[in-house]
Amino acid sequence: MNQILEQMPIVVSSLNIGFIQTLKLFFVTLIGAFPLGLVIAFGSMSHFRPLSCFSRLLVWIIRGTPLMIQLLIIYYFPGLVLNNPIWGGGEAGRFLAASVSFILNYACYFSEIYRGGIQGVPAGQEEAGLVLGMTKSQIFFKVTLLQMIKRIVPPMSNEIITLVKDTSLARIIALQEIIWAGQAFMKGSNGISGAVWPLFFTAVYYLIFNGILTVLLGRLEKKLDYFR
Amino acid sequence: MKKFIAFMLTMVMVLSLSACGSSGSDSGSDGDTASGSGASSESDQEYVKDKGTLVIGITDFEPMDYKDDNGEWIGFDADMAKAFGESLGVEVEFVEIDWDNKIMELDGKTIDCVWNGMTLTDEVTSSMECSDPYCNNGQVVIVPSDVADKYQDTDSLSDLTFAVEAGSAGEKEVSALELNCTAVKTQADALMEVAAGTSDAAVIDSLMAAAMVGEGTGYDKLTYTCQLNSEEYGVGFRKGSDLAKALNDFFKKSLEDGSMMECAEKYGVQAAIIE
Repeated sequence: MNQILEQMPIVVSSLNIGFIQTLKLFFVTLIGAFPLGLVIAFGSMSHFRPLSCFSRLLVWIIRGTPLMIQLLIIYYFPGLVLNNPIWGGGEAGRFLAASVSFILNYACYFSEIYRGGIQGVPAGQEEAGLVLGMTKSQIFFKVTLLQMIKRIVPPMSNEIITLVKDTSLARIIALQEIIWAGQAFMKGSNGISGAVWPLFFTAVYYLIFNGILTVLLGRLEKKLDYFR
Repeated sequence: MKKFIAFMLTMVMVLSLSACGSSGSDSGSDGDTASGSGASSESDQEYVKDKGTLVIGITDFEPMDYKDDNGEWIGFDADMAKAFGESLGVEVEFVEIDWDNKIMELDGKTIDCVWNGMTLTDEVTSSMECSDPYCNNGQVVIVPSDVADKYQDTDSLSDLTFAVEAGSAGEKEVSALELNCTAVKTQADALMEVAAGTSDAAVIDSLMAAAMVGEGTGYDKLTYTCQLNSEEYGVGFRKGSDLAKALNDFFKKSLEDGSMMECAEKYGVQAAIIE
């Protein structure tokens, strides 16, 4: 126990560095996947066949394969197959490749949630808008979208919390997030070797962060309650 | 209106796809010149020199590659790599990799060499262009100290369950002896298995065992007993790379002028160096 207390400051500072990577990947993914998901959702719902086929194919491929394989393909394929390592070997390149993989993956999941939300708004709402003489875009932005947002908050919260934990997959392409940092102490890092507890201690970070997210998302849900 | 939106969205998607394509070929133009003049087969050294950096794939592995208090990579391999980069006139960049993906990293050109106390196994020599061996190593058996007396030779190991790193030289030795074993992700995981009691014993590199188990380390209740084989460390480059030869010449030179031994003594590995 004493040994753990001695190691604590070194371990925590190293885990913090890893957790910052985790958070960076988390926020970049959200910022990218929220709008991209909406674009893909429109694509899937389009009456223009080639577009809807393309969107549905994309969603099928991305949801149908493991994120870990997608990370490997996106990071290694350009160099292996096209003989052109666009990402480079450095830390920035690995982060960029991981961001692209995560944004693409989460945008596809989000798109299905958006689609469910949009199609779940009763047809009467649109008809009412038409009766009032609103244009199609007015109806979408002022009637459908607002009600959709309320509907999708619970399933979105689910995905967002999953995303926090999924970021740990990025270590397959050697992105040094918090689990990587924790595991490094097992072998030896910053003068501590053979320490197992930092790996398990990373769970505390995830738990606290997800606790904060749960509270925030719960508040958001309550705020949107006025629709019903 | 709907048709128009659909058309716009299609254009956006097509454009974004083509943007991916063109940015890819732009940023790769300098890489193309190198690959155009014969892929990695004859001009790898030129490719690295053009690029100005030698990217070295490592894992955190004391005493070969590890970080000092300032976050600088040091260790026997790291210091030698810096000296080699200097002799080529290029910058050296260290990148931590997932050890399982080392061949993919090399072939995908995200790194230029693997220089991290790598045992020259058949897997390694068949998929990489390897330097001459520069360091001796062996696979040793790790057991809890209190039962170590019972397991001093290979005959006594038959009733133990082993944890070994997947794809490692240790795994090969254990399966050659037809012992019960579980493959885990890293050598450190194998040690954890023994410390946690989920496996009776582990097989890891002797250099690593010397640094990581026994008195004064994180695993002070473990010890190492018998050595199963002897093997050698080498540096791996892309298949067909001329950098392997350049490194062999560099090793020869630094052995002659004594700089290699000096470096080895600094990290306590002088006994293992191959002269």
